[in-house]
Amino acid sequence: MNGTEARLARIRGRALAKTHNARTIAALASNPGCARRAILDAAGVDKQRVAAYAGFPAPFGQSGFALARGNAFEAQVKADGAAELLTLLREHLDLPIPQAHYDDLSEVGGNTSLDLRHARTRTLLARAAGAQTDAGTMFDHPLLRLEVGGRHAFLEPDLIAFQLHGRFTIVEIKSFPVIDGQADGGKVAAAAIQSAVYVLALRDALAEQGLPPEAVSDETILVCPRDFSNRPVATSLDVRKQLTVLRRQLARIARIDDLLDLLPNDLTFDLDPDGDGVPRRSPADLADAIRRVDARYAPECLSSCEMCFFCRDEARGCTAALGQDAREELGGVEHVQTALRLARGGDVPDDLAEAADLLRTAARLRADVLKEAV
Amino acid sequence: MTESVESLERRISQVRTAVREAVLAGDKERASALRRELRQAEQDWDDALAHAQHEEAGRETPGQDRGGAVLAGPASAQGPQAPLLPLREQVHEALSLLTVPAAPRLIATVHEAFFAGTFPSARLTSLKRDEERSFRTAPFARPYYICAALTADLLAPARGLLAISTWPMERRVIGSLSPRVDFLTGAIRVAEAIERLSAPVPAARRLLWRFAASIPGATESAGSMHPHEVTQAALAELAVHQAADQATRQAAARRAREQLDEAQQLFGTRIQLATQARQARGER
Repeated sequence: MNGTEARLARIRGRALAKTHNARTIAALASNPGCARRAILDAAGVDKQRVAAYAGFPAPFGQSGFALARGNAFEAQVKADGAAELLTLLREHLDLPIPQAHYDDLSEVGGNTSLDLRHARTRTLLARAAGAQTDAGTMFDHPLLRLEVGGRHAFLEPDLIAFQLHGRFTIVEIKSFPVIDGQADGGKVAAAAIQSAVYVLALRDALAEQGLPPEAVSDETILVCPRDFSNRPVATSLDVRKQLTVLRRQLARIARIDDLLDLLPNDLTFDLDPDGDGVPRRSPADLADAIRRVDARYAPECLSSCEMCFFCRDEARGCTAALGQDAREELGGVEHVQTALRLARGGDVPDDLAEAADLLRTAARLRADVLKEAV
Repeated sequence: MTESVESLERRISQVRTAVREAVLAGDKERASALRRELRQAEQDWDDALAHAQHEEAGRETPGQDRGGAVLAGPASAQGPQAPLLPLREQVHEALSLLTVPAAPRLIATVHEAFFAGTFPSARLTSLKRDEERSFRTAPFARPYYICAALTADLLAPARGLLAISTWPMERRVIGSLSPRVDFLTGAIRVAEAIERLSAPVPAARRLLWRFAASIPGATESAGSMHPHEVTQAALAELAVHQAADQATRQAAARRAREQLDEAQQLFGTRIQLATQARQARGER
């Protein structure tokens, strides 16, 4: 265990480590400047638990019903050697009839160890890519790895499809319906960024085998129920834009060592549980520890981060809490109080002159409008 | 009540082993005495079970899953005809119709469509484990066992597939093309079974439609589906895959017969030690 890992283990405390998954990477990529999330995720802290104990439980996570529905739909399209999926892939990728191989990678020889599955995934993918005859078409639940913030996270796409002498394609199965060819935009966007995470991870895996990134298609396939039925329908998703965003933001996620250097050595989010697992640490003390790591709150966090209520409470009175647009317009003005003071004509420091000008204009306009309305 | 059924089962299997040993040792007197004891124990078992079923009928909760031991009564009592066959025999019926390894859900659907009795597929999860335990205590005491299909590469139990022990090994090993081949074979068997039926059964046609929808050229729609056309389409695709699949399966079956002991041939091997060895290598 090297120094970084030891520090992260100390920060996590005695709780079991939570690992990154495609969802958390997508969420992390949407707010790469947030050191708090980066540290908590890198250390594998159970954010839900910590936030709840510090007094800000987030109504967050997938509902049990949604999970059950998702699993049932996935099981259905993958039943009997993924028969329904194969039909869709034959239509969509023009898969020739002989390519109907199906490899189950969710366990290796009755063993579900992550390292074993990852090794096996790499072997099978390499064999498929290098083979002259068909040796693999559908890979069910392969296990890939992606480096995030200096650490490896295991990722499990629903399916990888491979066309001989062609390309690998990521297939993502989601249970939200496509009604009359239309699906919920937000959900499709989330599925697209998640698929992009998988594309990146698959390209990494193939690069180790000396294969170019073009071996993985930047069009992924999204499989959803059609209309109000259970029949699956496949749609192509172009994730080139998401890939660019993701790559840039993964690079920007400051390397975890640099972040750790700024933090006190004794920092920990351990809840200090007694023999029965009941926390003994005082919530206020835990909250203090959390505040030592800088957060970068934005209203978007409310839909993607378990710490959101804590950070929102902390950011009260900051212009950042008003949203991305407000923060950009008010560049340099950090607190709402400052903004109000500038608008009312208080002392203006030189570097804020421009912002103050804008604010005063806005205040005058508002006053005029209100006067007319009265 | 279940306790005593279970202890009776243990006794029955012990007595069976004793009978076998006595017969093989040539001790006729002892063998016939043991046989009487065995018949008595089996009679007790039947009585105990009938009693248990009687008790269960008053309650809503289905009987405890004990694989071959429990009648498929309470869980399927909601259906019009509750079959009085043990669960393992119902599974055997459905698998014999399909002639290929299948997942619990498909087995349940096939049984519902052709044998007019249904059971929740979740009940099959413990069946394989019970069969394995039974085989290990008294090998080959039963005419057949519900066992695992083996993966062709590692000869491990294939996830979620059940098979019958009397099938040739070639049919029970699963290569990467085998799921598709078995799917097509299953479709053909279901279509043939439908053609044998004297009157149309909606559940059976629904089942065939599930297959036909995923076979190219099988049918245009559920309404115009014809079993004969489904068979033709399935045979056409089967011809493409069969040679490659057979080669894989025969090689794997040969390996399985050479390398595995009897229990492993039925229930597969698991790589525990190999993992540890691999981890040890990785650390070095």
